[in-house]
Amino acid sequence: MNKLDNLISQYKEGKCELITLFEEIVNSKKYIPFEKLNYLSKKLDIPLAKLYTTASFYSLIPTAKKGKYIIRICNNLSCNLNGSESILEMLKKELKINLGETTKDGKFSLELTSCIGCCDSAPAMLINNKPYVKLDKTKVRKILRELK
Amino acid sequence: MQILRKSNWEGFEKTRKMKRVDIINAVKKSGLKGRSGSNFLTGLKWELMGKGTRYLICNADEGEPGTFKDKFILENNPSLLIEGIAIASYAMDIHSAIIYLRGEYSYLKPKLEKLIKQSEKYLKKIKLKIKIVLGAGSYLCGEETAILESIEGNRPLVRKKPPHPSQSGLHGKPTCINNVETLANIPLIILGDWNNNLQLFSLSGDLKEPGIYEIELNMPLKHIVSLGKPKNEPKAVYFGGSGGCIPYQKFRNLQVNEETISEKGGFLGARGLIIVGKDRDIVDISRTLSEFFVYESCGYCTPCREGNFRVVELLEKMENGKARKEDVKLLEQLAHHISDTSYCALGVASTTHLKCALKYFKKEFKI
Repeated sequence: MNKLDNLISQYKEGKCELITLFEEIVNSKKYIPFEKLNYLSKKLDIPLAKLYTTASFYSLIPTAKKGKYIIRICNNLSCNLNGSESILEMLKKELKINLGETTKDGKFSLELTSCIGCCDSAPAMLINNKPYVKLDKTKVRKILRELK
Repeated sequence: MQILRKSNWEGFEKTRKMKRVDIINAVKKSGLKGRSGSNFLTGLKWELMGKGTRYLICNADEGEPGTFKDKFILENNPSLLIEGIAIASYAMDIHSAIIYLRGEYSYLKPKLEKLIKQSEKYLKKIKLKIKIVLGAGSYLCGEETAILESIEGNRPLVRKKPPHPSQSGLHGKPTCINNVETLANIPLIILGDWNNNLQLFSLSGDLKEPGIYEIELNMPLKHIVSLGKPKNEPKAVYFGGSGGCIPYQKFRNLQVNEETISEKGGFLGARGLIIVGKDRDIVDISRTLSEFFVYESCGYCTPCREGNFRVVELLEKMENGKARKEDVKLLEQLAHHISDTSYCALGVASTTHLKCALKYFKKEFKI
């Protein structure tokens, strides 16, 4: 039994939450494909619309295809005061994409995020849920190089 | 730091020899109030719990901009939190507790899970199961009833109160929702020699040494700000994204506590202070914060959803020099309408920053 089916049976026994099922799919696929939502709907006997309205509410549960690495840059006040906008501009230039887009090779997606609680080491970003802090241009270039 | 003290389950063992009602009374007497910014007396919250099966939820969905003190506890003294959850559960006769951890902190989950496992011999004594539910990116889920909806698998919109969660919460059962810092203080209260006024402040913004500082309430603002070593003369201090701002120069001697900040039109909240330097443009900051509320609005009620969208539009017009004379007035009206008519507390607070900015820095909004 794969991990998702395992979680589905746990959900049916009231031992796990719907949001955890979504997260499991996002962990493996980086987003929730329509087929998976449909699969959940049939398995859990929950209307597709309800699943979609719930999943699409959360910023960390994308419902459209994303790159292998989802870069989420924080542009809230503390990060903004510490130069997050120039980091964002640089990322756009380096990756040749705009906010909300994915690189042609399917490697990187670029997004903004609300505060990620790294205000004491701003500017900061998350790449696939891992925080990267005290960013400057050299550091960002190095991070990108390592991921490429 | 008081919050970094180790208890090593001594507080828990002490409560095991106490009557449940005596634990609740001890917490009540200590004066501990919700450290999420709600300021509701914790002991009273515990006392108000309904009968039957009940739940405890630790709110670790710390999403307020400029606030990272719960993360500090989760990283530096998580065992105190687990012990606090155990004591709270024992006091309220709860056998199922959930830590609702924000998705942005998912990297803290493995360590926490390990710790829960290591604590099993204590948790077994009171038949308590603690599990972690990971949020998935939603500011709204910091609101206690939105957490309930999220855990129940619904679109996490804020519930109408009453009924309060203490009567009908998770799956319709009495539920107590406490913040990380609140629960982490419980073992320390039980051990004694505890100071209620020592609270965690998150300092960030235009500072050379931003970070978490444990500060005694009523300390003058200038002393608090000086701890973070401002890069230059501070212009304003923001209290998270939703707590508004006050001008630094004018209020540098103000003794900081919930009441004094409220008197000035702000809201101390979870004590996330963002210090803004002298060269910053307040209109630009207002736009940054309003964009946050546009992004995080759940869309349920019109004032918050449309109102904040219009606020951003007006602020952009001002920044681009395209605003008309009457736009400042319109902005002012919008700020008040949104806070007066929004459905939930988050919508209500979404323009506090703007109202404060218009109150103290109106000159900057002139076209």
